Amino acid sequence: MGQLLQFTINGLMAGAIYALIAVGIVSVFKATRVVNFAHGYLIMFGAYFYFTFAVLVPQAAWAPDWLASWQPGWMMDMREGLPMFSPLAAVLDWLANVPRILLGLAGALLCNAALGLVIERTLMRPLMGQSVFAMIMLTVGLISILSGSAQLIWTSDAEFVPSLAPNTPIRFALFGQTIFLFGADLANMVIALLIFAGIVLMVRYTKSGIAIRATAEDQSTAYSMGISVPKVFSRAWVLASTTGAVAGAILATRNGISPALGLFGFSVLAIVLMGGLDSYLGVFLAAMIVGVLEALTQWQLGGEWAGIVPYVAVLVVILIRPHGLFGAKEIERI
Amino acid sequence: MHLKRRQFLATTAAATAGLAAPVTLRAQAREYVIGASLPLTGPFATAGQMVAPALRMFEALVNEDGGIGGVPIRITAEDSGYIPANALANYQRALATEPDMVMYFGDSTGFMKLVAPELRGANARLMGSTSFASELADPAGNPYQYLPGPSYEDQFDILLQQVKDEGGSTVAFIFSNTEFGRDPIAHGRAKAEELGLQVVLEESTREQGADIPTHVTRLAQSGAEYCILQGYVTGVWPQLIGGARQFGLPTRFMGTFWGMENAIADRVTAEAGPILDGYAGVMPYRYFYDPERGPAYERFAAFQKTAFVGTPLENYLPTWGIQALFSLTIGVEALRRVADKGLELTADNAAEALSDLRDWDTGGFFGVPVSMVNNKIGTGRVYRYSAETQLFGPSSDWFTV
Repeated sequence: MGQLLQFTINGLMAGAIYALIAVGIVSVFKATRVVNFAHGYLIMFGAYFYFTFAVLVPQAAWAPDWLASWQPGWMMDMREGLPMFSPLAAVLDWLANVPRILLGLAGALLCNAALGLVIERTLMRPLMGQSVFAMIMLTVGLISILSGSAQLIWTSDAEFVPSLAPNTPIRFALFGQTIFLFGADLANMVIALLIFAGIVLMVRYTKSGIAIRATAEDQSTAYSMGISVPKVFSRAWVLASTTGAVAGAILATRNGISPALGLFGFSVLAIVLMGGLDSYLGVFLAAMIVGVLEALTQWQLGGEWAGIVPYVAVLVVILIRPHGLFGAKEIERI
Repeated sequence: MHLKRRQFLATTAAATAGLAAPVTLRAQAREYVIGASLPLTGPFATAGQMVAPALRMFEALVNEDGGIGGVPIRITAEDSGYIPANALANYQRALATEPDMVMYFGDSTGFMKLVAPELRGANARLMGSTSFASELADPAGNPYQYLPGPSYEDQFDILLQQVKDEGGSTVAFIFSNTEFGRDPIAHGRAKAEELGLQVVLEESTREQGADIPTHVTRLAQSGAEYCILQGYVTGVWPQLIGGARQFGLPTRFMGTFWGMENAIADRVTAEAGPILDGYAGVMPYRYFYDPERGPAYERFAAFQKTAFVGTPLENYLPTWGIQALFSLTIGVEALRRVADKGLELTADNAAEALSDLRDWDTGGFFGVPVSMVNNKIGTGRVYRYSAETQLFGPSSDWFTV
């Protein structure tokens, strides 16, 4: 039982990150009816922006020393005699990195928001009024542009970035089994869930959110009701890019950073289809189900199956409910 | 038709000249060509872009030594983007455009397997590569392809022997769910049994973006004293080791050639702290900074100091650069032996000369003389990383398996 719980929690932590990635795809789809195939590459750019501001900028000759490693006197005193991998040492390591982590996050959010805005204004908006299919194909083309640009700007080197939270080990006993969690993963999960919840609340209760929902229902009616549909499009892209920036930073801390990060978007696309392209709740549930299924399959059947079983489940759900778990049914009358 | 004597003589002379032309051209080759595919773009672009100048250095140094049988060489490299089909197209183009191509260097296992059926008759060339895939070391099936060191199976043998020598009894294999990752696992299982070691976990992971907490939990449950990582280059393995250290696991981690680049280990140390301290693995060659490096490295170092000023190659040669240079060095050695015998530089003659290499002094790439057995060199050494010195240092003698 304890082991089941351990692997379920591991799966939930992975699922929360899937959900954070998926929220960007759903936001763009809800507002524009466009499935953004390039979302994984927006995330990759977010990760690289985080790397730029959290690693490259602090290393620059002109950057103050405290930005690269903040080492006040009291911290040095606390470090004295600490074992190498003790929980306190992990917290102090993280504290020393806090200035550059904050700079990295701020830089990633701003730059990715700007990137999302540029993509929307220069590539998507001119296609407004055209077939949605053309816009979807454009996002496919965007994959090559973003992937190639990242390699030109940052090269293909694998890089490593500081964790968003201290990676202290957390242990507790449950059902006679010691449960072990990584502090950074737990924090990542909390960050992902908070952002996800914030977006859902925003869409449900704020004016901007209502405008997104109205546009999703019917663009023409939304226009006639005085909603600026182009602005809604822009907001959706900025929302997807900023959540993508945080998701990118989290993925980079978990797996390191390389252009291969962009491929994550494709596996999450399956999760989005399972949940329903326009349903935050559905996508959240699907992300958690896939995360837990992956971890449990890894535990019971090994890695060869972990990449297959969850996606068989996705297929089964789509076969039974083609619009996903909670996606809106679309009836086309011919 | 009536043929006059003069016409007969003229026709015969022309026909003879025509038939002999290819032989004459080959005999008169003004330079031999070595073709290469490199990942100048794509996921391994950094490696490819560092190897490209190393190939120019190799060309210059071989020509300084008189080329092959007195004929200078020219190296022509094209981008593959690390896509085997592109590399195959590069090879076919080189065959068509470079009649004096005597050898080819491939950049992936995928390419070597893709091209293998093509290496027949006039299309065959001696072929080295970046791959240590065990199935390529097959003189019967792939007589022209060779490994520039021990196969992954050999590397597992070396590591498992090291575990045994250190008194270990349990070992875990964690590997990427790829051909590269799975390559030595079945063999490793059998070898461990032969050595009396217990394989307590065989864990397959994604190549990128693996679920680290789950894998570390499984490793912790297995209670393995040693863990051998296989099938990764830059990602996953550092995170796995970092996770295990945070978990407080005493497991000793080991890896094979592609997990042994010093620059990668330094980058991990800079960001994640001393998690790789004690990490060990097989490196077939001496590191470039080895104080006991031989004349080959000294020559490279002197060339690099003047030719690559201001680039990362000015003072350092990464492991993958060393591997590429050795792969070409041993190929050229075989071709020189063929030329010295006065034979034509065909793939068959070169492959035969290569398989005859015994107790050959590599000029310092390896610490011991090496032999080409079954199209591979089963020699290597275990190196261990020190976070304090930020260098991999030798932790075993040279093994030949």
